[in-house]
Amino acid sequence: MQAYLLNLGVLISIYSILAITLNFIMGYAGIFSLAHAVFFGVGAYTGALVAMSLSASIFVTVPIAMVVAGVLSLALALPALRVRGEYFVAASLGLQVLAVTVFSEWKSVTGGIGGLIGIPPVDLVGYQIYRPAAFFPLSLAVLVLVLVATRLLVHSSFGRSLTAIRDSESAAESFGKNVPLIKTISVVISAALAAIAGVLYAHYLAFINVESFTLDTSVLVMAMVIIGGTGTAAGPVVGAALLLLLPGLLSYMSFLPQTQIGAIQQIIYGLGMAVLMIFRPGGLVGRSKAKARTRPKDPDTEAQAPASRPAEAAR
Amino acid sequence: MLWLQLTFTGLQVGALYALTAAGFSLIFGATRVFHFAHGAAFVLAAYVFYWAETSGLGMVAGIVLAALAAMAFGVAMDRLVYAPIQRHEGSFFTVFVASFGIGIAVQNVLGMVFGRSFVTISTGLSRSVKLMDGVYVSPLAWIAVACAGLFFVALLLFLNRTHVGMALRALADSPELIRAYGLDPRRLSSIAFALGSLLVVPSAVITALGSGLNPTLGHHVMLISLAATIVGGIGSIGGALVAGFILGLAENLALVVFESQWTEAVTFAILFLVILLRPAGLFGRHATR
Amino acid sequence: MTASAATNAAARPVEAPEVLLEIRNLEKHFGGVHAVSNVSMDLRAGIVTTLVGPNGAGKTTLFNLITGHLVRSGGSLRWLGRDIAGMKPYRIARLGIARTFQDLRLFNDMTVEENILTVMEPGALPFSLSGPSAREKRAKVEHVMERTDLIDKAHVRAIDLAYAERKFLSLARIMAADARLWLLDEPASGLDPNSYETFLRLLREEVAAGVTVCIIEHNLDIVVGISDRIAFLDRGRLLADGEPKSVLENPELTAIYFGDRA
Repeated sequence: MQAYLLNLGVLISIYSILAITLNFIMGYAGIFSLAHAVFFGVGAYTGALVAMSLSASIFVTVPIAMVVAGVLSLALALPALRVRGEYFVAASLGLQVLAVTVFSEWKSVTGGIGGLIGIPPVDLVGYQIYRPAAFFPLSLAVLVLVLVATRLLVHSSFGRSLTAIRDSESAAESFGKNVPLIKTISVVISAALAAIAGVLYAHYLAFINVESFTLDTSVLVMAMVIIGGTGTAAGPVVGAALLLLLPGLLSYMSFLPQTQIGAIQQIIYGLGMAVLMIFRPGGLVGRSKAKARTRPKDPDTEAQAPASRPAEAAR
Repeated sequence: MLWLQLTFTGLQVGALYALTAAGFSLIFGATRVFHFAHGAAFVLAAYVFYWAETSGLGMVAGIVLAALAAMAFGVAMDRLVYAPIQRHEGSFFTVFVASFGIGIAVQNVLGMVFGRSFVTISTGLSRSVKLMDGVYVSPLAWIAVACAGLFFVALLLFLNRTHVGMALRALADSPELIRAYGLDPRRLSSIAFALGSLLVVPSAVITALGSGLNPTLGHHVMLISLAATIVGGIGSIGGALVAGFILGLAENLALVVFESQWTEAVTFAILFLVILLRPAGLFGRHATR
Repeated sequence: MTASAATNAAARPVEAPEVLLEIRNLEKHFGGVHAVSNVSMDLRAGIVTTLVGPNGAGKTTLFNLITGHLVRSGGSLRWLGRDIAGMKPYRIARLGIARTFQDLRLFNDMTVEENILTVMEPGALPFSLSGPSAREKRAKVEHVMERTDLIDKAHVRAIDLAYAERKFLSLARIMAADARLWLLDEPASGLDPNSYETFLRLLREEVAAGVTVCIIEHNLDIVVGISDRIAFLDRGRLLADGEPKSVLENPELTAIYFGDRA
């Protein structure tokens, strides 16, 4: 039982890091990515390869994985952020699909479908950490560090710029914000921090393959953020814990067909996302934005006669 | 003769992509709803057809039921999911997430009912017939192309010649104008969803008869529809049609050089090139933000 | 920068003040519609210019062209002699041109304080290396909040403010932005008489401190009360440009203006 709980604790910590870093761009920059599992995967593969060939020290694997994921995210951000928001969703979906192909086909590096086996345990100043009882505190500590780092960023001038852009891109531009640059930086930060989760994951399981980094993972992480509460501090962690506890809870319900637990779980969070968007778009933790946003628009925009609008509104 | 064979296959696949993408583009153009569950309408229609076929109802009944299922799904999404969201906020993101969530749920329900492995309906129509040395085309391919042609013409006539069709094209730009003409924007929106969803049916049926079905196909259909809409230019239904053909052809002609697991990568490469070089799309009007 | 402009104007009151923004033969078409058509005018330092004209006359379009939110179809825009046409909005903003929006476009989920603070930061880096210190910025935010009567609302989200407060926050943002030219899009519409007096007082103070203002306004009291000059637009054309009295007493223009309203 204790082993089960420790294992769950490690997984919740790792997925919380993913959810927090996705929330950083979704909740504060208004960028919706379906490619978060790609950066998780890049972090895991990079961390594993570095650990197997160079050093398993966390102070070597993590920085290298962060740089690789950050640079790769530029390939997505630079073209896709120049244009409308819908494009980013499409481009990220495309990147996710492409990455799965690369993970499973680039056999010399990723080991193909078979994956990478025998990844050494993480090395923390000379101590090898592999037992769950030791790994859980480590993953929790990293989670706290990532949480603190993102909170500091959100409350810095950079974070204010991000939120300003999310709330009104045109107004932010009018006050001198370089919108594409700021958005690009946020995507790079998010990808680099997600890679940390990948490194932990690779060390913890000692084995990785493409299965962990598919579109399903990206969707799962997105569901964690949305169900927990987009743009809130605690939401992503709550969402991650909830969705990872769900399979365990479902397996207690003996009337459910046990082979279908995975599908039932996905149905629950799929419907959960839809229902939340209808009734409580702020998520479980977030305040009910639906209420705040139903207030009437400023009277001067409402008062304008519709017939006279097209010429001035055509932008 | 390989490339000729692949061109034929590409045209067949492209015709189906074009129809599906045109449906997505029609819905997006008229309602500004990013209908991510369009892929779910596709798998739903395909599995309804599969169910009708395997339970002996016959092909015609199968097609009718598939069409009804797709249209009912589209209209239900509009009425029960999008309309309530748009009433209080309706940001692009909220609508997208809800649509996405429903898509996941539909995929998994179908997986539970019909299993997660590939299923296919065996019919003589999918058996290839020799056209010339090294080029084989199945009757299904001809049906696909003919179907696509028929639907294109019908769609264009509808959008350009009928009152409702023209109103649909104007809906996104000025709902006030639509109201001024005495049409109900909500009803028009439902029509857009019904029609857009109907356009997945030929593709769904032919896929069920040909290459086979699996619940995750919805993602692929969605990626293609999105890519075709962007490559063709957001807001241009004709553009989405042409882009569908381009993507189908490119995917198949790429097999001359690459192995089959890279086909989606080819789609993605085209999408990225278009976003980089022609963000407005090949036929689009609205360029950047 | 603003201070030197003010002393210049004071030292040589007879000469026409320096031209900040020079607009020449500006054109903007949307499809076949000429939203702005062959408009030429100068915005001079310290002069309050009001754009009047019926709805759809192209006033907001003119603002959008100046700030780079729309790309011109023809003509030229020069800021202190430098061609700014085709520049990105954020670059134009950094030259010292700031604006408000008719629909305000506040940063709705941010507090009043954050709304004002963020316009003082370029914000591409988590920590600013140059520019005013954090304490100086805070002090300025306080000052701006006091002047706009928003000090009690410092930690209230913009979306939860009352209408007049939202209008003043829009003004507070532009006050904090340290711009030399302000483009105000119907800043006083919908204000009650009290708020309206506060608004006029603030605007006068800012103009006295050296800010150059261009306003879109329907309220003729404001137009007469504060403008040095009126530019009358109709269907994208500049029909008149001069002293408030001469423009407002022109019967043809008033016919167009009030004709639209009736």
